[in-house]
Order: sequence, then structure tokens, then C-alpha cells
Amino acid sequence: MKEETPPLNKYKWCRLILIITIAVLLIRLWDLQIMKGSEMRKLSEQNRIRIKKVVAPRGVIYDKTGKVMADTRPSFNMYVTPEDIKDFNQTVDGLARLINIDREEIVDKLKAASGFPPSFPVKIKSDISMDEVAKVEANRVYLPGVSIQIEPKRNYPYGKMAAHVLGYVSEINSEELKSKGYKDYSPGDFIGKYGLERNYENYLRGVDGEKRVEVDAIGREVRTLDVKEPIPGNNLYLNIDMEIQTLAEKALESKKGGCIALETKTGAVIALVSRPSFDPNKFSAGITKEDWKEVTTDKTHPLQNRVIQGRYPPGSVFKIVLALKALDVGILNERTNFLCRGSFPFGNRVFKCWKKGGHGNVAIHRGIVESCDVFFYNVGVRLGIDRIHAMADSIGLGKLTGIDLPGEKQGLVPSSEWKKKTFGEPWYEGETVSVSIGQGAVWLTPIELAQLASFVANEGVTFTPQIVNRIVSPEGKAIKVFDPVMNTNVKLKKEVINTVKEGMKGVVNEPSGTAYGSRIQNINMSGKTGTAQVASLEKGKHLGDHAWFIAFAPAEAPSISICVLVEHGGHGSSVSAPIAKIITENIYKTKVEIKEAKNP
Amino acid sequence: MMRIDKRRLYHLDWYLIINGLALFAIGILNLISATSSFYSGSYNYIMKQLIAFLIGIILIFVIIYYDYRVIASHSKWLYLSALLFIVLVLVIGMIAGGAKRWISILGINFQPSEFMKPILVLYLANKLYEKKRDNIPLGLKDISLPIFLTMLPAILIVKQPDLGTAVIIVLTCLAILWFVGLKKSTYTLLISIGALSPFILWEYLMKPYQKMRILSFINIDADPSGFGYHAKQAMIAVGSGKFLGKGYMAGTQHKLQFIPEHHTDFIFTVFGEEWGFVGSIVLFALFISFIYRCLKISQTAHDELGSIIAFGMASIIYLQFTINVLMAIHLAPVVGIPLPFISYGGSSLVTMLVSVGILLNISMRRYMF
Repeated sequence: MKEETPPLNKYKWCRLILIITIAVLLIRLWDLQIMKGSEMRKLSEQNRIRIKKVVAPRGVIYDKTGKVMADTRPSFNMYVTPEDIKDFNQTVDGLARLINIDREEIVDKLKAASGFPPSFPVKIKSDISMDEVAKVEANRVYLPGVSIQIEPKRNYPYGKMAAHVLGYVSEINSEELKSKGYKDYSPGDFIGKYGLERNYENYLRGVDGEKRVEVDAIGREVRTLDVKEPIPGNNLYLNIDMEIQTLAEKALESKKGGCIALETKTGAVIALVSRPSFDPNKFSAGITKEDWKEVTTDKTHPLQNRVIQGRYPPGSVFKIVLALKALDVGILNERTNFLCRGSFPFGNRVFKCWKKGGHGNVAIHRGIVESCDVFFYNVGVRLGIDRIHAMADSIGLGKLTGIDLPGEKQGLVPSSEWKKKTFGEPWYEGETVSVSIGQGAVWLTPIELAQLASFVANEGVTFTPQIVNRIVSPEGKAIKVFDPVMNTNVKLKKEVINTVKEGMKGVVNEPSGTAYGSRIQNINMSGKTGTAQVASLEKGKHLGDHAWFIAFAPAEAPSISICVLVEHGGHGSSVSAPIAKIITENIYKTKVEIKEAKNP
Repeated sequence: MMRIDKRRLYHLDWYLIINGLALFAIGILNLISATSSFYSGSYNYIMKQLIAFLIGIILIFVIIYYDYRVIASHSKWLYLSALLFIVLVLVIGMIAGGAKRWISILGINFQPSEFMKPILVLYLANKLYEKKRDNIPLGLKDISLPIFLTMLPAILIVKQPDLGTAVIIVLTCLAILWFVGLKKSTYTLLISIGALSPFILWEYLMKPYQKMRILSFINIDADPSGFGYHAKQAMIAVGSGKFLGKGYMAGTQHKLQFIPEHHTDFIFTVFGEEWGFVGSIVLFALFISFIYRCLKISQTAHDELGSIIAFGMASIIYLQFTINVLMAIHLAPVVGIPLPFISYGGSSLVTMLVSVGILLNISMRRYMF
């Protein structure tokens, strides 16, 4: 019986096994719960807690009278959190099937955000329709990782109106993300890309809040743990008067061109129109590929702000510059006459006056009123290009006006020095003849010419055009008020200014004036027409002339100045002046009404 | 058949009863947390578990009424009917979660493989107790029948597939054989078979998903979205409990559905997350004390039959407890084994209570002559 094993021995083995078991379990638990406990706790928190951005509403943009020009409305945006995707193809294909978006587009967006942690939700589509929201929500279980957020979206109630002033917001792109100026932005953020939205980005943009939410294993929000409320952006109050803006927009609706109205005493921009226009709402929804293509390939360049970026030959409007200089230096006085027979031979060329039969003997007043070309050929030749340039320069022509919009371009007024520098050739006097009537190498923007009107109206003083009047915090406290900034302050002899002013008054108010058709009954408007010939790039094809009109009113004590340009519109007198008339009439109609209301 | 003696009731093992009740109470509390989200709970699970508990208690009374020797003498018929049900499962079983493990009779769903565990213990004990009494170490011939009787249901259960239960049955059989006593040659044979079995299992018996579980156990990152993911989340749940736990009803890992089967096979993750290291020690202590008490019953049993049966029951509880917890803390591959008294599942709970009934039966008749 040697193989007999006493049963007690077996129980000892059992006890030993129990002890070993409990030891193994406890060591492991000690390791997991005590040694690695904090790390595991962190992992479980990461599992369940998602930090979601609460997008701050952008500041509201108001016009002068408090009408909302840009605000925010709630929209549904769809996100995908890569970490919560279980089966990549299931989620991506499912989404592509449910909502109107390409599979590649989803993959591209996810790829673009690959540098961010996988728990970072990637915006796939902005402003999805209620229909799409319902479809996605109904299929959430089959779309792990997909979530819908309600976020503010930029809204422009006036659509295409004042679009170039307001600009638009759009999703930040990867290059902008890399640049220093946008270092505290993240993918999916909307930034101002154009117009005021861009220029005042730092004011309009609020401080995004944060929401810590608990999600379950398929990424569904279960509850909100805490919220850091976002701080809305600051509001802008503009100098723009939407009533005037709307009238000007309508007047230019089917045309190409631009128009700007300024307060002469402050530089405040009352209206700024550039046509054709675009709808900024399309950008803030996350512009579709087709819309972007349409807007960027459109030959009429709707995204160009013609008022500050379009450079055109100023035509006869430029004669004002010559008149000012010639009177100032004494080449002309009120009685200096030149004979106009309808043409002006110079060198081996003959320069024509617009009036075939000629104007006869013309002095400065008739020269301006009837816009006699021959008169100004004579003046120009006597002044010489450099004195013309000096005058233009002191008015601010050929220089940036400093308006608070991005992308302003400066015009060009040539000088002999400029020609030498640019072409290495001397200036020929014959060129001065063309420049005298605003043709040739003179290229100016409508806003520069509006400044010219202000210069005359204000007798040598101009202010930097300013669109934003003040920046106001969400609580209503003014953060920044823009006081007028003087741009030029040129001392001119009283009689010089008066002569030019009288001439400009005559343009509109004398029967022989080029803009007599646009005279206004109860108020005197002063102005100057311009009809600039356009050299066609294609031979044999004649493009219509650019129609210009600059004006200020009232003639006696000016407070507004206007510049209207209609590309290839024809005559300044018949196309552009009526638009200035509408603006002036309405500005003063409202002013009169206010006065009447105050004194019953 | 003998009538129940009042003196026998006096000898009821109250230690075992209270220990078992404590485990069950913890189980129910834990199940309430495991089956409810942060907003709503389902009393459906709790009701079913309580009904199973009631059925189990009734069965305990039935079981202690009859002498365990009488029950063991009829174990052949119990074994055959359990086997019949296991075959029936494969024929008319209900499919749930990709496996046929349940059978529905009169609207009650149950898992016959669970009942096979104590029945097999009874049957094997009945076949082997004479050898033990006579202190004859088991030779090859002696073990062939017990092994056949074990492997037959085990292979059928693997077919369901329910690897966990099959593993428990086979290991329990081996424990009983060891307890009865083996010849050295038999040891050698069993050990060599044991060494070969992983290969045989891997090559011929295991399904691809079961292989995947083993692979993801060896390398947790091999399958981060499937079994590896679950194993990892289970580990995170237990670990995140830290020293004192996140608090009752406050376990985020299971409430937010990061852990599959958290009310059945992964129930320990719920407990570990909410009660932490301290709670786990208490739970372990209750289990060890329960198993220890089972062994005590085995040791003090009136005869070798009772001794073997009690040891078999102890083995089942020990194996299920150990493997289940090891799996939750990633020291064993994922297999479907319920944690006795704690996991949700009527069949499992009834089986455990039947086992307790048999243990009480043995212990109360220990002074019998």
C-alpha cells in the first residue's frame, strides 16, 4: 500500500492552490488599480469625455441706422470623430448615401485633419438641411462616430447688397492654418476672408467656449458635464446707410461698375457698391465646388471690388486736377481763353475734341462745364506732366486712400520720373496731351476720384474713407470709435477753389453743362462727367466707353461727395450722373424729412 | 426514502448559507448597476435573476430532503437526461449571439450545459467513490470511462459553441480524478495528453473567432477593434476603479457600453470599477472563504462519496471564479464563463444553488452512521 496517499495531503494542496490564486489576483489588481490606477482612470475618462467646441457667435454688423447687415443664425453642422469610427467604410459610405456629399470629399476632410488627435471631431458638412439631420439621426446606430452640432452660421440678410463691403466668412484652409496670424485657430473654424469680415476679424470673432460631454462607446452624447460659455464677438456699426446703399445697388443692378458716397467732412462711407456682386451667404454655408467655380471663373469678376480695386482711365474727370494746378500756379486765370475748333494739332498728331464743331473761345468755366478737350490740351501742355503729377499726388491720386477694406489698389498718375524708372525712356510731351483729358497712362480707382470730389468740396482737405463707425462690445460698450483721420490738407487760394467749384456747379446746373439732365430741384449738386475711351485688346472690336461722374453736394456747403463708374456704360452724363442724382436726392430728402420732423 | 430528520436541519451549514447569500446579495446589487444606464434601468434582468433565485431555493429544499447517496445512485438518469438536453440544444436550440446554447421549454429559456456541471460531478463521484474508499489509485482502465463520460458532453458543448463551459467540465473531471488518486503511469499519460491538447484544440476543434481570442490575449493590440479592444476596455474598467472605486452606479466604462457582456461574463469589470481594490478584496475573500468551506465539507463528509461530490462542487466554483476574474483582468483569454452568484443568468444561478443544496445535503449528514 505504498501508493496510498493520505487524503489530508490533497487538502493541503488545495489550500496551497487557493493561496497562490489569491496572491496572483491581488498582485494583478494591485498593479492595475493602485500602480496603474491613475493612468487607467485617465484612459477611462478619455474614453467617455469629449471636449466639444461651442462656437462663439460672430459680432453683428449694423448699418448707420441699426439695420442688421450681417448676423448669425443656428445651423446644423455634421462632424465625424475618427476615434469613434468602428468600421471606416461603413461610416463613410453610409454618410455618402444619406446626405448629399461625395465619398472622396469626406475622405479628403478626414485626411486633412489627420494631424489632430483622433478624438478631435472633423467637420464634414456645414449647414445641412433638416431633412439630412433627420436621416442622419435615424441612422446614428449604423454611423458610429458621426455627430451633429448646432452652431452659429453667418447670415447676410441683404444678400448681394454691400457684399464687397461686408465680405464673407469661410472655412479656414490648410495654408492659413499653418500661418502665424491664425495660430489659435483649428480646422473647421470660419474666418473672415474678404471685406470687413476680414479686416475686423479680430474684433468680430468671439472666444469659443467648450463643452465637456460624456459619450458612449459609439460616440453618442449621453450627458453634458460642464460648459464654458462662448463670448460673442464685438459688433460693428457702419457709416453705411442701407437705404442709400439699396438705391445705389438698384441703380447699378444690371450694370458693371461701382459707386461710392462719402461724407466730405469725415470720410465716412455712406454707400459703396460694386457690381456685379456675389452672395456672401453661399460662402458661409461652406461653398460648394460648383459655386466656387462659378464665382472665380466668371468673366465679369464679381469678387472684385471695383471701387477700390478697379483701375480705369478717369477721362474728363481728371480735368479738375489740371484746372486746380493751372489756376494755382497762375497759368490760367478766369479769363484765359483758348480757341477750340474741334481739334488740337500737336507734333505730328491731331487730338480731337469730343465736340466735332469745336467750342470756339473757351475760358476755364466753360472748359469745365462743357468739358472742352482742346482747352485742357492747351492747359496740360503748358503745365507739363510733372506739375500735373504733383497736383494729383497732393490730392492723393495714385496713392492708397486707406479705406478700412482689404485689398485696396492704388491708381497711377504718370510723371517723367516714373516713365524713366519703369520704361527707361524720357517723357514725351505728346503723352501729356492724352493725360490732360484723363487718357493714356492715367489709371485711377473710383474711390480715388471720390476723394478728388471731396478735395474740391472741402477746399483741399480730405479724410481717410472709413466704413466702420464704431466697434461695440456685446454688452453695448463702445470699444473703439473711429474719429476722422485727415488724409490731405492742401492750402489752395480761395479763388482757385471757387473757380473750380463754380465750374463743377455749372456742369450740373447750367443748361450747357454736361450733366444738366441730372440737376436736382431743391438742392444744387456739383459734379464732373467723364467718358473714358477704352483701348480694346482685340483689334476692330470697340468696347464701350467708361462712364464717370464725380459729384459733391450741396454745391454751396458740401457735405457729401460721390463717385460713380459704369464700365463700358457710354457717356458719363447720361449713365453715371443720374445715379449720383438718385443718391444725392435721397440723402437730402431724408435729411429734410428729419429736419421737418424736428420742427413741426 | 427517509424522512428528513429535525436533527439534520440543526446540522445545516449556516456558514455556507450566509456566505452564499452574501455573494448573491452583492451579485444582485452589482447587477442593478450593470443593467442600468445613467438615466434608466431595466428591472427585467433583476426580476429574472430573483425568480431564478427562488427556483434555486426551492430546489435546495427538494435536494436536502433526499439523502445525497440516493441522489447519486440515480445520477445515471440525471446524466442521461442532461445529455439529451445538450443534444436537443444542437437540434432545436435558440441562436443568440451566434451560438446555440439555450433551449426553450414552456417559455422558459435555459442552458442545459450549466446543469451538466453538478450532474457530472455526482455521476463521476458515484462511479469512483469505491476506488477512493479502498484507496486504489486509478489506472488507465479506471479513468477511461470517466473521461469518456466527460468528453462526450464536453465535445457537444464545444459544438454549440460554448468553450467556457466545456473547459470547466473537463477541468472538473481532471480535478476529481486527481482527488480520487491516480497511478504514476496515469499521471504521466494525462500530463502528456495535457501537453498535446493545446495543439489538438488549435488544429481541430477551435473556431477562427476562438483562435482570435487567444491571439489577442497574447498580443492585446493584435485586434484593437475586436476582442483585444474588449479585453483592453475591461482592464481599463477594473484599473480605473483605483483604491476605493468610482462608487456604486458610477462606473462609466460599462454604463457607456465600452464593455460587451458586462452583465454576464465581464461582470467583474463592473464591480472592480465601482468598488475598486478594497471592494475586490472583500469579494475575493467571500469567494475564497466559500470555496474553503466547500473543501471543509469535503473533508468532514460522512463518506468518500460525499467527499468527492463536495470536492467536485468546490472545483467548479473555484475554476469559474478564477478563470472569470483572470479573464477580466487580462490574465486569461476571453472565454464565456459566468462568475458564480454574481453574473446574470438564470441557469447559472440555479446550478450554483443546486450545488449549494448538494453541499448542504452532504454537510448535514456528516454525523450519519
